[in-house]
Amino acid sequence: MKKRLVSILILAMAGTMIFSGCGGGGGEDDGKTSDGKAKIRFATWDEAEDVDTQQAMVDRFNEEHDDIEVTLEAYGGEFDTKIAAGMGSKDAPDVMYMWNYPAYANGLEELDSYIDKEGADYKENFYETLWNYNSLDGKTYGIPVGFTTHALFYNREIFKEAGIAEPTNDWTWDDLIKAAKTITEKCEGKKGFSFQMKPDPYDFEMYLWSNGTAYCDDEGNLDGNLNSKEAKEVFQMFQDMEEEGYAVATEKSGGDEFRAGSTGMYIYGSWAIDSLNEAEMNWGVVKIPSFAGKGPSASILSSSGLSISKDSKNKEAAWEFVKYWTSEELNTERIGSEQPVLYSVVEAEKMMEKPEYAPFYEMLEQSGDYTPASFKVERWSELAESLSLTFEEVFNPSSMADVSDSLDTAADQ
Amino acid sequence: MKQKKLMKTATPYLFILPWIIGFLVFTIGPLIFSLIMSFFDWPLTADPTFRGFGNYIEMFTKDKQFFKSLTISLKYAAIFVPLNMIIALFLAMLITQPVKGVKIFRTIYYIPTVISGVAVSILWGWILNGDYGVLNYLLSLIGIEGPKWLVDPAWAILAVIIASAFGVGSMMLIFYTDIKNIPIDVYEAASIDGASPARQFFSITLPIITPTILFNLITSIISSFQQVTLVMLLTGGGPLKSTYFYGLYTYNNAFKHHKLGYASANAWVMFIIILFLTALVFKSSSAWVFYETEAGGAGKKKKGGKKS
Repeated sequence: MKKRLVSILILAMAGTMIFSGCGGGGGEDDGKTSDGKAKIRFATWDEAEDVDTQQAMVDRFNEEHDDIEVTLEAYGGEFDTKIAAGMGSKDAPDVMYMWNYPAYANGLEELDSYIDKEGADYKENFYETLWNYNSLDGKTYGIPVGFTTHALFYNREIFKEAGIAEPTNDWTWDDLIKAAKTITEKCEGKKGFSFQMKPDPYDFEMYLWSNGTAYCDDEGNLDGNLNSKEAKEVFQMFQDMEEEGYAVATEKSGGDEFRAGSTGMYIYGSWAIDSLNEAEMNWGVVKIPSFAGKGPSASILSSSGLSISKDSKNKEAAWEFVKYWTSEELNTERIGSEQPVLYSVVEAEKMMEKPEYAPFYEMLEQSGDYTPASFKVERWSELAESLSLTFEEVFNPSSMADVSDSLDTAADQ
Repeated sequence: MKQKKLMKTATPYLFILPWIIGFLVFTIGPLIFSLIMSFFDWPLTADPTFRGFGNYIEMFTKDKQFFKSLTISLKYAAIFVPLNMIIALFLAMLITQPVKGVKIFRTIYYIPTVISGVAVSILWGWILNGDYGVLNYLLSLIGIEGPKWLVDPAWAILAVIIASAFGVGSMMLIFYTDIKNIPIDVYEAASIDGASPARQFFSITLPIITPTILFNLITSIISSFQQVTLVMLLTGGGPLKSTYFYGLYTYNNAFKHHKLGYASANAWVMFIIILFLTALVFKSSSAWVFYETEAGGAGKKKKGGKKS
């Protein structure tokens, strides 16, 4: 019996030795390939055909550079988990797509010195608002690659059927509500407007901005902001629309309902454009309506940037690749899947003259003064989870919680 | 001499060495590591700091969601485990019947198991949609107005249970192989004695397969506590956190809120709960599980007694 135990222990030790032996060998990574090129691992969150396109772009970079070899790693839907795990084990990719800077900034390289070296013109060619979304506490951690703002999509056929004028860029919410009522009354089985029953708190803050408030002040205090009169007005307006029956709160983004022709309008990012064109719909898009008596409406930005890992062994080579990936050439090539972020490209490609893209740039220009709460609140992901529950309680038809009480409770945490 | 003896005892272990290494490196190693992590405040991008039992204390005293999620998972397990086993057993009985084309049915019932959890979630998301889902359409044909499955908190957990019962195939297959192993003459003898099919099921089939029932019971308790994929993709824990399972709670703490230490503590608490439940089932098994070897022994004794 004892003997057996001994032999098990010996084997276990042998096993551990083999394991640690492997670890030691693998740890001697100097970031070079066998033929001496700088090795860059590049992580993307895209999927399917987008990855093929990106692979082609990476291949071209590798052909042009005989001292750098970039390998594309497509993490898809598991992107956050893998980046998180990679940073935890100091094995993050050298270059990666990034949007959630507050969560990951600690693991990312500050890029200001790299940007300064490129000269002032380099930085100024990017839309200014985008820099806010790619930095934290005044330090830049990512170079903008793409963005979308939100805008109001509408179904032309439904507006024709209801016999009313189509939305315009100077609409207020009162105009939208009136149109939504008419559509709901005149078109059998259709609703005028849809919004998300469980909106992402990050996105929803734009309506508060448009009405002159925000979730929190610069110090991150919710009380007096999230439960301000203006904030309550916003939530009340959405809840009323739902309760009175001319808007529907959708389980997902509302895109399915809109494409199926059962809702007349919804607010979403430019991601919808491709699928609307595929569905061969007759649609239009304008800026988000403003609140009567308040300034122009604002939109949240969903932006993507390219970051370099703090632990990268080839930062210069990584920067070389980042520059390539954010160049005019690639900005132009990506049109259709990603909206260009460079003034020069927007001008050369006449983006502002394309009715399906212009509203998104106009929203971008008038949303520069706002900073999302996620950049101000330390534990945003936990706050977002509790806000999300509060919002859902307000908009879920099986609860329809009182707006004022819910927001007061939510602000008191 | 001694060396030879050692070699002799070591040989079998050498054969299972690959497995042992895998077990040490991929199971025991991470397990111990996560136990260590559970005593730390372990953010993702900064350095960990030791906090003793802090994570566990926080969980039991401050975190309301911990108890809520635990209750939801227990509720799910309490409904899902028996339901799933009854369905699996029922289907297993069906596919053992000597019907024409039974092989086709066997395949049909097993197919859902092969589909990845992600695809299953998306599929059920469409089926269960309150406004244009297939299920509510079918219900409307027989005059029932279906609930908004994924919107109404009262129905959502049932929706998740229905969707997870879709993957009943592997359990069905385990029951099926065991039922197939029961010698046909037992049934023949029973039917000569005038036992009805129902009587045959309860007096022959069920007692003989109790070891398999035990196995399926334990594995399905474990898997029901570990359910993550489906709720993550189908409901996202909603509506109104009504399906915020313990597994999802742990996952979000780790990969959304980046509190790896806290999440490890969550996982260890779940491990202990599962361990306890499994032990309970094992303890109770002597009362209802019936092993053939024991049965044979008992029967012989009886016969012997009569003869003498």
